[in-house]
Amino acid sequence: MSQSLRPYLQAVRSSLTAALCLSNFASQTAERHNVPEVEARTSPEVLLTPLTIARNENERVLIEPSINSIRISIKIKQADEIEHILVHKFTRFLTQRAESFFILRRKPIKVVGYDISFLITNFHTEEMLKHKLVDFIIQFMEEVDKEISEMKLFLNARARFVAESFLTPFD
Amino acid sequence: MLLLDYQNVLIQAVLTERFSGAPPVSIDQTVSDFDGVIFHISTPESKSKIMVSLQIRCYKDLVRYGAEQVLNREYGPYVVAPEIGYDFSVVVDLDNLPAEKEARDELVNKISLLKRNAMAAPFEQAYQEHYRLREEAAKFTSEEAPQGVREGGTVKAIQYREEEAIYVKASHDRVTVIFSTIFREETDRVYGKVFIQEFVDARRRAIQNAPQVLFRNDPPLELQGVPGVNNTGTGEVGYVTFVLFPRHLTPQRMPDVISHIQTFRDYFHYHIKASKAYIHSRMRRRTADFLQVLRRARPDSEEKERKTASGRTFKQGV
Repeated sequence: MSQSLRPYLQAVRSSLTAALCLSNFASQTAERHNVPEVEARTSPEVLLTPLTIARNENERVLIEPSINSIRISIKIKQADEIEHILVHKFTRFLTQRAESFFILRRKPIKVVGYDISFLITNFHTEEMLKHKLVDFIIQFMEEVDKEISEMKLFLNARARFVAESFLTPFD
Repeated sequence: MLLLDYQNVLIQAVLTERFSGAPPVSIDQTVSDFDGVIFHISTPESKSKIMVSLQIRCYKDLVRYGAEQVLNREYGPYVVAPEIGYDFSVVVDLDNLPAEKEARDELVNKISLLKRNAMAAPFEQAYQEHYRLREEAAKFTSEEAPQGVREGGTVKAIQYREEEAIYVKASHDRVTVIFSTIFREETDRVYGKVFIQEFVDARRRAIQNAPQVLFRNDPPLELQGVPGVNNTGTGEVGYVTFVLFPRHLTPQRMPDVISHIQTFRDYFHYHIKASKAYIHSRMRRRTADFLQVLRRARPDSEEKERKTASGRTFKQGV
């Protein structure tokens, strides 16, 4: 793990742990509704201040807490065109399976630049262990970068091999 | 499996089986190949006479560049009038096969190379043109050579797919082969770029004697004024140029080089698709891993106490 990654992940971990303090809270505007306030945005007094943790200009996390839900959006590092395509494909692949991921949002939030978003409500924290949820997010952030760079390396290696074997018969 | 075969494997299999001395049966089989080429293997007259017909999109172009001569040279005694709806046909009489096994195998190979031979005509013509120009150029120093010799021959365009073409141009010191290729989507374009970059670099790094490969998104200068070439400016079309140098242009190496360069487009796209498939399966595996991690967040369901009908409780043995 590189020098700057560790404090970055540590900051995300502590902020998430602090933010994941959710309680059941029924909607104040619609009777018999219980919706994630961070999504509905109907009562400003239950929304807390959003927080951005940035490692550099290409990698950052946005945490938007509220009384009964929090939203975590991640911007994954994309250094060039290839990584951009790979990130796009990978996040699309994941969001299409959002059903089985429970906390994964089907679409990243509208704020430009974020590639993938999670939505954790009080019902999730009631069913699942909070520290394990945080572990999941942290591990996701770690592995996604690793996976993208591995895929890129693979693509380059394959391209090189393919090009050389096509050109060898001319030699 | 890395490199594509030059011949059509299905035709080869069918003919090998028929030529092995098995009792003649009637055949009616349509075989497709790369670039929308269709073959038809049939026995129209009698079971012992097998007809193989070829349909190829750019046959008109090929005829203009001498495909008929090449095909007649290769298939001389077997050529018949083309079947309706097809461009070229050969008929083999099973009762009249060569006696030796080697000769029979060679005939099978020859017929399964039908597409390759049809497409080879413009390349062969370019080779001949190159020899002629080289002889002429040898009479002059490079400065005083007349316009025609210095410029080289005309560009031969083969529109082998609806939107893609091969252009061949001969000059006194090289033969240039340009493939125009189209990328339907962004992903293909990016992957294609990675692959092409390696083709361009391979010569510098490992294989010094390989043909020079160039890539650009706008038509190369050689193609200026060629009908059908227009600059869309969208970056969807790529032009891959192979420059064959005199060492690739000797008569001995001609057949191999022609066969090999023809497979470029299919080879290139095949590996782009294969990489996409691999990356997809990789993402699938990684997603399963993530799910596994998330599942750990769910506490194990607590063991429930069970009761029998009489009210006694028991624990299930683990």
